[in-house]
Amino acid sequence: MFGERAAELVRGLHRAADGHLPAFNEDGIRQVLEEMKALYEQNQADVNEAKSGRSDLIRAIKFCHCSLLRNRRCVVAYLYDRLLRIRALRWEYGSVLPNDLRFHMSSEETEWFNQYKKSLATYMRSLGGEEGLDLTQDMKPPKSLYIEVRCLKDHGEFEIDDGTTILLKKNSQHFLPRWKCEQLIRQGVLEHVLS
Amino acid sequence: MFLSDFRKEFYEVIVAQRVLLLVASDVDALCACKILQALFQCDHVQYTLVPVSGWQELETAFLEHKDQFQYFVLINCGANVDLLEILQPEEDTFFFICDTHRPINVVNVYNETQIKLLVKQDDDFEIPAYDDIFRDEEEDEDDSGNESDRSEPSGKRKRFEEDIMERTMKRRQRREWEARRREILFDYEQYEYHGTSSAMVMFDLAWIMSKDLNDMLWWAIVGLTDQWVQDKITQMKYVTDIGTLQRHVSRHNHRNEDEENSLSIDCMRIAFEYDLRLALYQHWSLFESLCNTCYTSASLKLWSVQGQKRLQEFFADMGLPLKQVKQKFNSMDISLKENLQEMIEESASKFGMKNLRVQTFSIHFGFKNKFLASDIVYATASLMENIEKDEPGADNFIKALDSLSRSNLDKLHQGLELAKKQLRATQQTVASCICTNLVISQGPFLYCYLMEGTPDVKLFSKPVSLCLLSKYLLKSFVCSTKNKRCKLLPLIVAAPMDVEQGTVIMVGIPPETESSDKKNFFGRAFEKAAESTNSRTLHNHFDMSIIELKMEDRSKFLDALISLLS
Repeated sequence: MFGERAAELVRGLHRAADGHLPAFNEDGIRQVLEEMKALYEQNQADVNEAKSGRSDLIRAIKFCHCSLLRNRRCVVAYLYDRLLRIRALRWEYGSVLPNDLRFHMSSEETEWFNQYKKSLATYMRSLGGEEGLDLTQDMKPPKSLYIEVRCLKDHGEFEIDDGTTILLKKNSQHFLPRWKCEQLIRQGVLEHVLS
Repeated sequence: MFLSDFRKEFYEVIVAQRVLLLVASDVDALCACKILQALFQCDHVQYTLVPVSGWQELETAFLEHKDQFQYFVLINCGANVDLLEILQPEEDTFFFICDTHRPINVVNVYNETQIKLLVKQDDDFEIPAYDDIFRDEEEDEDDSGNESDRSEPSGKRKRFEEDIMERTMKRRQRREWEARRREILFDYEQYEYHGTSSAMVMFDLAWIMSKDLNDMLWWAIVGLTDQWVQDKITQMKYVTDIGTLQRHVSRHNHRNEDEENSLSIDCMRIAFEYDLRLALYQHWSLFESLCNTCYTSASLKLWSVQGQKRLQEFFADMGLPLKQVKQKFNSMDISLKENLQEMIEESASKFGMKNLRVQTFSIHFGFKNKFLASDIVYATASLMENIEKDEPGADNFIKALDSLSRSNLDKLHQGLELAKKQLRATQQTVASCICTNLVISQGPFLYCYLMEGTPDVKLFSKPVSLCLLSKYLLKSFVCSTKNKRCKLLPLIVAAPMDVEQGTVIMVGIPPETESSDKKNFFGRAFEKAAESTNSRTLHNHFDMSIIELKMEDRSKFLDALISLLS
């Protein structure tokens, strides 16, 4: 049935957990494009024939045309949704993505990601006077300046703003400024302790 | 040196600095740590918390962190040794020590710059005077300088003889002084004991700064109760400290006395209780609790058949049907629970248990949650020495620390279950030791060795559990033996610690008497015995009376101890 594979693409993406970026489905896209190409060529032939008299092909042409439009819509939805997810990744992980996510993106998506990073950086630099304003920090209003964190794995030395270093060893607890810890909490090295 | 104003000389010094907290592994230290953490979070003091369970870990932690921190706070460790010599810190490193171990090492007392002791002054110390222990080295140099000046070649013979006499006099004086010094130090350091709970000291600090909360007060109570459960302080001191805390409790919790204006049931409140000293009885059944609490089990001699009969009589005397008593306490008939405490006390005094009730505190929050301070102590101690999953020590420490917060009730309940297992295992081990006469008198002390095949022996490879076992064992032994001399002897218990490495953990506790001052001489005794026999021992624990040694060296070590102490 036409349009099945395109729907499969969209369904696959929908099944992936919220915000999670599955691997780029090269195969699926290629198959859909082939199908579209086949349909298009079929249609071209049919249109030529219809022009020369065979009017019963008009319904077939309409049907194929609808399928083509459907396929296009699915592919565009797939690509656009992936771009939205990649954009959210920048806000969650920062400018350096973890390796496994990078392998899930196609080269064009990586290109897009770099461009997006540049635009965001330029924008952030233009705000807030000379140093710029990092918008990706503090997505929710913070309740306190310092938070208590517990180290889940050995991370080595970690430098904080006033130049001093802290040794992050497994199972040590620290009381540190919030903005310094957020990155490490997202990476899973530290755990916020609520008491 | 001792700090007199904790607020100015300790807190205000560190409030602008980054601090490293080194916390020992016992419940009192955990409570003190929680109070201090709460204060630090209030004032945004950046700190790092590192748990330490022995001297080696303390040294390692210090070496790792010494480049990054200048201020170290040690809780329940470090007061009874020469810290500067062990750690070799830089000139600008400062140590604040809040420790219950006594006697405090004289170097720590008289060091004016780097070591600051957060210790209450009303513990009587009997610290030797400065001049008795330290002598200026310069005096000797002057002497030798003068002597060289004086030995002029043209010196008269008489003066030469006078010189020799002066020098011998000085040398004799010096020898006398040194002998006296050794004696004074020996007397001072001979007995180990414990001072005021660190948690109470920290709570006092919070109170001075008017930052004390009901939560912190509860932690102070738990810290004090831990000292009582582990038999570290005398009954007098416990009662005095309870009085002090009672004043704070009424200050924080007076709103509940007025029926109309009382707080919502969800708010946390602390109440003074004159409650039964049966371990965990409100979270267990009354029967189990009576069987597994040291005091009742030893007084009723529950390891014998006679004892079991007496237990049945005890319940019959109170009019409590066995079926009710074996149920979970919360499901007991309400009519039976109403005057339970008075009933039990009355019957208990008929059976020779006069001190079944003890002054303590309980905490309530919500409808279901009511705990006595001793319940929390047992739960937290079990969590900290949990051997079940074989996790590294620090994980257990973190779990135990978390269980002290009221929001982690699941951990607390886990701790209670572990505590029940622990108490049961302790009781069974004690019963089997008494029945099979494993406690032997070696002359100056009693000795018991837990064989490797003993059930639950792995539980007793940890210091606090082994200490509790020893105390229960001694109490039970004293109740079971007819030999009057044996009743006054101290006890040493050894248990296998690590079977692969062939190490044994050994604990010495003072004798069990009515008015014991809980002073323990085994720390020094173990050191001397180890030296004299070249046994491979590890004096790793902060309590000097707990050591580890190799199994093969056990017998010669014991022989040395016997000859040392007789």
